Amino acid sequence: MVLADLGRKLNAALSSLNRAPVVDDKVIDALLKEVCAALLESDVNVKLVAQLRQKVKAKVKAQFDSGADRGKEANRKNVVQKAIFDELVQLVDPGVEPYKPKKGHPNVIMAVGLQGNGKTTTCTKLAVHYQKRGFKSCIVCADTFRAGAFDQTRQSATKAKVAYFGSYTETDPVSIAAQGVAKFKKERFEVIIVDTSGRHKQESELFQEMVQISEAVKPDMTVLVLDASIGQAAEAQSQAFKDSADFGAIIVTKMDGHAKGGGAISAVAATKTPIIFLGVGEHLHDLDKFAPQPFISKLLGLGDMQGLMEH
Amino acid sequence: LGSIFARLTGSKVLSDTDLLPVLDSMKQHLMKKNVAKEIADKICEGVGEGLVGKKVGGFQTINAIVRQALSTSLTQILTPNTSTDVLLSIRTKLSSPLPSTQQRLPYSIVFVGVNGVGKSTNLSKVCFWLIQNGFKVLIAACDTFRSGAVEQLRVHVRNLSMLKESSPNSKGGVELYERGYGKDAAGIAKEAISYAKDNDFDVVLIDTAGRMQDNEPLMRALAKLVATNNPDKIIFVGEALVGNEAVDQLSKFDRALRDFSSASGKGRGIDGMLVTKWDTVDDKVGAALSMTYVTGQPIIFVGCGQTYTDLRQLRVSNVVQALLND
Ligand SMILES: Nc1nc2c(ncn2[C@@H]2O[C@H](COP(=O)(O)OP(=O)(O)OP(=O)(O)O)[C@@H](O)[C@H]2O)c(=O)[nH]1
Ligand SMILES: Nc1nc2c(ncn2[C@@H]2O[C@H](COP(=O)(O)OP(=O)(O)OP(=O)(O)O)[C@@H](O)[C@H]2O)c(=O)[nH]1
Ligand SMILES: [Mg+2]
Ligand SMILES: [Mg+2]
Repeated sequence: MVLADLGRKLNAALSSLNRAPVVDDKVIDALLKEVCAALLESDVNVKLVAQLRQKVKAKVKAQFDSGADRGKEANRKNVVQKAIFDELVQLVDPGVEPYKPKKGHPNVIMAVGLQGNGKTTTCTKLAVHYQKRGFKSCIVCADTFRAGAFDQTRQSATKAKVAYFGSYTETDPVSIAAQGVAKFKKERFEVIIVDTSGRHKQESELFQEMVQISEAVKPDMTVLVLDASIGQAAEAQSQAFKDSADFGAIIVTKMDGHAKGGGAISAVAATKTPIIFLGVGEHLHDLDKFAPQPFISKLLGLGDMQGLMEH
Repeated sequence: LGSIFARLTGSKVLSDTDLLPVLDSMKQHLMKKNVAKEIADKICEGVGEGLVGKKVGGFQTINAIVRQALSTSLTQILTPNTSTDVLLSIRTKLSSPLPSTQQRLPYSIVFVGVNGVGKSTNLSKVCFWLIQNGFKVLIAACDTFRSGAVEQLRVHVRNLSMLKESSPNSKGGVELYERGYGKDAAGIAKEAISYAKDNDFDVVLIDTAGRMQDNEPLMRALAKLVATNNPDKIIFVGEALVGNEAVDQLSKFDRALRDFSSASGKGRGIDGMLVTKWDTVDDKVGAALSMTYVTGQPIIFVGCGQTYTDLRQLRVSNVVQALLND
């Protein structure tokens, strides 16, 4: 399963806590060292990991000092485990509700992100997802830059039996986006997905173009599509996208591979924006719903430890 | 006597306890530069082993000593020990004498890697560079899976042909070899090479579909393409954005190609890397280090943008500088 490796390591760290006869500073430090190593190997931002270590230590100390452990080793273990669990959930759960498309309303969704991260593929997957749930769905290809971009949309939308709009001759993405959205609104489509070119923060003109597309189509939700394998550049790039495009949701792609997605998790923490789906393959239906708590529980193999999850 | 001498000159023998905190912060530093954790660990461990027990002058700080040793180590890892001169390699093959009965095979390069890293785009940049150097190039569209993959290459070939027309004195040129979608990639590559041979092409650039390194059927199919066509170069395309995955991607691509492309497990592996999206990571260039450390193979090209001229050679000293900079 996704993230199995990270899960195994975190799990091993936690079970070594369970075997420890006493829970002292040394045991906690050793545990945190292992947890942090596992997170670093998963590409979680180096600064975030350092913060997590500090926060867990502070929380545990505060709880011990206030006598929450009632002097029992078992309770002490629970305090430590819960502190780690909560901080991990914090990493992937910004506590923000993402936009939910409404029936009978033209919901405009715009996909943005770095080059090659899976926007175009994900747009079709999203259209299929909403179409299956009874929304009349379509795709607007506002990528006039990448070679073969419209062919890609045309072929995959055709395969998915989803309506699409684009042009081989128009070179202005803003104009295409506006035309496409206007046309589909008129035709009473309910989910209108606008695909855009890949871009990066270092090219300000590309970012301006994104802002213009956004102003032209006024999306109800902008989605940042992010590759699970991204490393330490994740934070700066996603922050820049947040500042310019103010995305309201993240989709992490390529989670079917070996990547553990820690970079994407760091993007969540940096931008306080929730992940809504995971891309888990190249095919139309390879899209999983995402929810932070079950995700972390599964990650830690804590499915049977419900007590820990109560807040 | 030794200790008196040491005291007189203010020199000191480095111990583990002197080095540990400094090495630890170096490790953190490298990870912030996007070096994979495992690689940062190993490099710092190596630097530590080289320094422990060493006598050092009293005026040097341990920090400066470790930094110097790290710089040397990084330079060593990044400096290729095989040739990265692709033009030379192509010219050598094309000009080597052949028995008169035998027809010359074109020089072939296959581009492999995970999804979306920039294989097709950078293949086109390499093509542009080869045309400028007077070669006649055939692009083989062996990604028969991803929507639009063939059309993407067709657009590049059209653009490159137009660029070529504006500099007509060059004898170089480009054509696309494609058989649409759904077909066996290994077979198309074979046909393309034979078409290139019959039509006097110098180089065949083979585009392949992106695939995850753990996807065994797809990795086997790639190995089959390599085994059937025995290309002159296998270039792994990886992006500068990739974090710890760099290690797993490269080791598994290399291993799968070796294991699956021959029964004896001694098949061909990766010959070199092309690191793309260099323009998106500022000075967090650690992926380049992870990739070279894992394979011991050189970075042949660096992709630094989305136009045909955005292809560079790696400057080792610049990379080392970027990795050490605060
Ligand atoms: N394995 C896997 N591959 C994926 C997934 N999502 C997308 N891909 C692949 O990633 C590659 C890039 O996907 P695209 O959809 O073209 O990416 P993009 O963001 O639109 O790219 P640009 O428009 O060039 O910026 C393709 O090979 C896709 O098939 C996923 O969840 N899993
Ligand atoms: N900024 C930047 N973008 C790049 C670079 N190289 C490629 N890209 C972009 O990355 C995206 C994906 O490139 P492709 O060449 O389609 O990638 P691929 O590896 O062939 O993708 P698949 O065949 O789907 O696996 C495109 O938008 C390219 O323009 C680079 O060096 N810098
Ligand atoms: Mg796209
Ligand atoms: Mg490609």
